[in-house]
Amino acid sequence: MKTFIRTAIVAASAAPLLALAQAGPIRIGVVTPLSGTYAGIGQQVKWGLDLAVTQINAAGGIAGRKLELLYEDEEANPAVATQKAEKLFQVNKVDFLTGTVNSGSTLAVGQVAERNAKLIATTVSFSDAITAEKCSPNVFRVNARAGMQSAALAEWLAKEKPQANVFYLGPDYEMGRSTVAAFKSAAEAKGSKTVGEVYAPLDNKDYSPFFGQVRSAKPAVIYTSVAGNDTVRLFNQMAEFGLARNVQVVGASGTVTSQNLAAIGKAADGFVTGVGYAANIDSAENKKFVAEFVAANKAKPDLYGADSYGVLFFYKAAVEKARSTETDKVREAMRGLQWSTPQGVKTLRAGDHQAMQDMYAVRVKGGEFEIVGKVAAAQAIGPDTCTKF
Amino acid sequence: MGEMLEWLQFVLAPQVINGASIGVAVVLMALGLTIIFGLLDVINMAHGEFYAIGAYAAVALLGVGLPFWWALGLTPLLMAVVGYATERTLIQRVFHSKERHTLTLLLTFGLAIIMEDALKIVFGANPLRLEAPISGASEVFGLFFPNYRLFVMALGSGVIAAVWLVVFRTRLGAMVRAAAYDRHMAASLGVPVAVVYAGTFAFGVALAGLAGVLLAPIYSVFPTMGRDFVLIAFSVVIIGGLGSIKGAVIAGLLLTQVQSISSLYISPVWSDPLLFAIMVLVLMWRPQGLFGRLGHA
Amino acid sequence: MREMTVEPMVLSPSVTGRLLRHPIRSLAWLFFGLALLFAVVAGIQGDVFFFRLATESLIFGGLALSVDLLLGRTGLLPLGQALFFGFGAYVSALVLKQGLPSFWLAMAVVLVSTTLVGLVAGMIAIRAKGVYFALISFGLAQVVSKVVFNTRELGASDGIIGVPVPQISFGFFTVDAASPGGFFLLVLCFSAALYAVLAYLMETPFGRQLAAVRANEHRVPFLGFDPWRYKLAAFVLAANVAGLSGAFYPMLRGFVSPELMFFQVSGNAVINVIVGGTGTLIGAFYGSAVLTVLRSVVGSFTAHHQIVIGVVFMVSVIFFPKGLIGHGVAALTRWQSRKEGA
Repeated sequence: MKTFIRTAIVAASAAPLLALAQAGPIRIGVVTPLSGTYAGIGQQVKWGLDLAVTQINAAGGIAGRKLELLYEDEEANPAVATQKAEKLFQVNKVDFLTGTVNSGSTLAVGQVAERNAKLIATTVSFSDAITAEKCSPNVFRVNARAGMQSAALAEWLAKEKPQANVFYLGPDYEMGRSTVAAFKSAAEAKGSKTVGEVYAPLDNKDYSPFFGQVRSAKPAVIYTSVAGNDTVRLFNQMAEFGLARNVQVVGASGTVTSQNLAAIGKAADGFVTGVGYAANIDSAENKKFVAEFVAANKAKPDLYGADSYGVLFFYKAAVEKARSTETDKVREAMRGLQWSTPQGVKTLRAGDHQAMQDMYAVRVKGGEFEIVGKVAAAQAIGPDTCTKF
Repeated sequence: MGEMLEWLQFVLAPQVINGASIGVAVVLMALGLTIIFGLLDVINMAHGEFYAIGAYAAVALLGVGLPFWWALGLTPLLMAVVGYATERTLIQRVFHSKERHTLTLLLTFGLAIIMEDALKIVFGANPLRLEAPISGASEVFGLFFPNYRLFVMALGSGVIAAVWLVVFRTRLGAMVRAAAYDRHMAASLGVPVAVVYAGTFAFGVALAGLAGVLLAPIYSVFPTMGRDFVLIAFSVVIIGGLGSIKGAVIAGLLLTQVQSISSLYISPVWSDPLLFAIMVLVLMWRPQGLFGRLGHA
Repeated sequence: MREMTVEPMVLSPSVTGRLLRHPIRSLAWLFFGLALLFAVVAGIQGDVFFFRLATESLIFGGLALSVDLLLGRTGLLPLGQALFFGFGAYVSALVLKQGLPSFWLAMAVVLVSTTLVGLVAGMIAIRAKGVYFALISFGLAQVVSKVVFNTRELGASDGIIGVPVPQISFGFFTVDAASPGGFFLLVLCFSAALYAVLAYLMETPFGRQLAAVRANEHRVPFLGFDPWRYKLAAFVLAANVAGLSGAFYPMLRGFVSPELMFFQVSGNAVINVIVGGTGTLIGAFYGSAVLTVLRSVVGSFTAHHQIVIGVVFMVSVIFFPKGLIGHGVAALTRWQSRKEGA
C-alpha cells in the first residue's frame, strides 16, 4: 500500500514533466552576426551554444525534451535582427532566443520579445543600459556588463599603479564614450588623475595624429575602449611610434579578444583589462570545458564562447525549476536563479535581470590571457537602477 | 619666439609629416581611380576592393614563405592581371552603351559587394597581420618617426613620379592620352585602343594593389578594409579633377594636410564632414575640379 | 546597345491589345492585385511574420520608388537616398515618442521637414551632374549618418526604442498599427497612392520635362526651360517619397537606428530598382518584393547571402538591363504580336 501511494505521488509529480516530454523538442532561436564585422564574435557564440546543446542532449535534454538550435544571421544590424527574431518567434515558434551581439540589436530584439511574450538573453552585449535604464522584463543578461568590467580593472589599477596619470583614447560612438566614462569614474574614485581625453572616429585608420597629444601629457597609463580592427591599428601604430614604452596600456574587455589577438601580435603584450572569463581560470569545471571546446572547435574559448555555453545551462536550470517552458513561469524561475558555469556559480539578480559573477583582471602575455586580479561578485555588480519591474 | 619655434617643432611638424605619410597613401589610391576615369570614363566603385585584394594577396604570398619584398613586387603584377581580366570580361560588356557612366558604376558596385564577401569566405572575418619589413624608428629633428613609414613615403613618391613620367614623357603615355582624347582618331592612327583600355584599367588596379601591400603593415588586413579609402579617394579625385593626375597628387597631399592640421583644433569626428564640405564648395565653384582631365588638360 | 529604360508601346485594339496598350500599368494592377490576394490568404492563416515582412518590403519599395524617380525618370543616380528615408523614420519616431502618438501629426511633420531638408540638400547636390551627383549624394548620406550615429540625444548608436504604436483613425474606422494585416493594408494603400500619383505626374508636362532632362539636358534650355528647376523639384519630390516611406518604419518595428541611413540601405534600394526595372516605377516595388524574399530565404541557408545578391545584381545589369518589368513587357508584347500575327 505504501509503495502504491509512493509511486502514485512520484507519478503525479512527474506528470507535468512527462507532459513536457511529450511536447517535442525545445526550440531555441539564435540571432547572431554570422557575416560582417562581428562575424568572429558570432562564431564563438555559435561554438559555445553548439557545445552546450550537444552535452545537454547527450544527458537527456531538458526534462526529457531535446534542445534544437535555429540560427539566423543578423548582420549586426538591428533592423535585420528584429526581422529575423520575429521570424523565429512566429514561424519557427521558438521558446527562447539568444545570440544578439551589439546593444542596439539586443534592445530592438527585446522589444520583439515583449510583443511576442517570450524571453531573450544576451551573452555578449555589455552596454550598461540593457539592465539599467533600458531594462525590460523579457530581457536577461548572463554576461558581465561594462560597469562590472570597469570595477575589476579599476581595482587592479589602484593596486598596481596608485594615483597614476591616465590618458583616455576612445572611439567616438556611444559604446566607446560610455565605457571610457564608466572606467574614468571608477578609477578617479580610487585616486587616479586624468591627464587627457581624446576620441577618434570609429573605423579610424591612422592614430598617429593623436600621438603628439598623448606624448605631451606624459601619462603613466593609457586607457582605450577601441575594439576589433581599430585595436589592431592602434596597438600596432603605438608600437611603431614607441608610444607604449614605459606606459601601462589598459582597456575595455572588447578591446583585445581572441578575434584580433593574432593580428595585434606582440604589440598586445602587457595589456590589462577586466573580464568575466579567461580560458585559464584554474578550476576543474573550466579545465574540462576548455578541453571539450578545443576538441570540438580547434580553438580556445573566449568570453563570448564561455558565456554562450553557460546561457543554455541557465535556461535549463530555469525550465527545470519552473517545470514548464511558459514565459511567465520561466521568468519567475530565472529571477534569483543560481547556476554553475565554467566561471563558477553565477546568480541572476532579480531586480534587473543582470547576472552576478566574480570578475577578473587579465593581462595579455605571449598570445594568452593570464589572470592578475580578482574582484568578488557582490563588489563588482554595482547598484540596481532598473525601475521598470 | 622660443615658444613659437617649439610649437612649430613639436606640434605642427609631426602633424605635417604624419599628414604627408597619409597623403602619399591617399594619392596612390586616387591616382589609380583618376587614371581609370580619365581614360576609360569608368567609375570604379570596386577600387577599394582591389586595394583589399592586394593586401590579402600579400598575406597569402607571405604565408607560403615569400619575403615581403617579393610580395611587394609580385602583387601589383597579379593585380594587373586581375584588372585586365575584369576589363575585358565585365567592363567591355556595358562599355558601348549610352548609359555607360551609370552602368559601369553599378557594375563595379556589384563587383565590390561580391569581392568583399569572397574575401571573407576565403580568409575569414578576423583581422590579419602583415609584419613590416623595416622596424625601428628614426629621430628627425627631435621627432620620432617609424622607419617603415619613411620608406612608404619614399617609395610612394617614387611611384607617383614614375607614373607621371610614363604618362607625360613616354610614347606609351602619349598613346594613352591620345586614346583618352579621341579614341576613334587614335585607333585610326594605329593605337591598339582595346589593349590600351584594358592595360590602363589593369594599371590602375595594380596601383590600388600596390597601395594595399604597402599600407597593410600600418593599417592591418581585414575584409571590410576596402571601405577605408573610398570616400577620401573619391573626394580627392573629384576635387583634383576626374582624370587629372596633377589634380590627384595636389589635392591628395593638400587635403590630408588639411585633415591632419585641423585635427589639432577640431574634434576628429568633423574631419570627414570637413573634407566633404570642401568637395562641395570646390564643385560649386569649379564643377570640373581644380585641374582638367587626362588628355584634355 | 544596352538600354535601361522602357518606353510604353501602343498596340492593336483587341482585348488583350487594350490590356497591353499600357503594359506597365497592367503589371502595376497585377502587383497590387497579388498583394491583396496575399493579404487574404495570410489573414485567413492569422499570420504575423509574413505580413510584417511584406509591409517592410513595401516600405523599402517606397524608398526604391524614390530612387527610380531620380534614376529612371530624371537621369540622376542617387547613392544616398537612405538619408531621407532614415530622416523620415527618425522624425516619425521622435514625434510619436516625444510628441503625440498620432499618425497624422507624424506624417505632417515628416512631410514639412523632409521638404525643407530636401530643398537644402538638393541645392547642394543638383548643381553637380552625372557621376558627381552620385558621389555628392553618397557623401551627404555618409556624413549625416555619422553625425546621427554620434548624437546622444538621438540615441546614438543604439537608436531610439520604445516608440509607441499609434492608432490611425480615418473618421469612421481605425487601423491599429500593431495589427499585422491592418497595417499591411494601410501601407499597401499608401504605396498604391504613391505610385498612382507619380505615374500620373509622369504623364503631365512636368513629367515630360523630366524626360527631356533625362534624354538630353543640354538641349532643354534651348526649348525655353530651366533644367535646374525641374531637377530640384524632382529631387525634393523624391526626398518626400523616401521620407514618408521611412516614417512608416518605426510604426511597424517600434524602433529606429542609424543603420537606416547607412550606405547599405541606399545600395539595396538601387539594386531593387535595377532588378525591378529602371524607369517603370512599379519595378521598384517588384524588385523590393523579390529581393526581400530572396534575402530572407538565402539568409536562412547561408551567411554569405551578400555574394548571392551581388551576383543577381550583376547578372541583371549585364544581361537584363531592363529589369523584371522591362523584360516582362517585352515578353508580353512578343506574346501579343505572336497571337496577332500567327
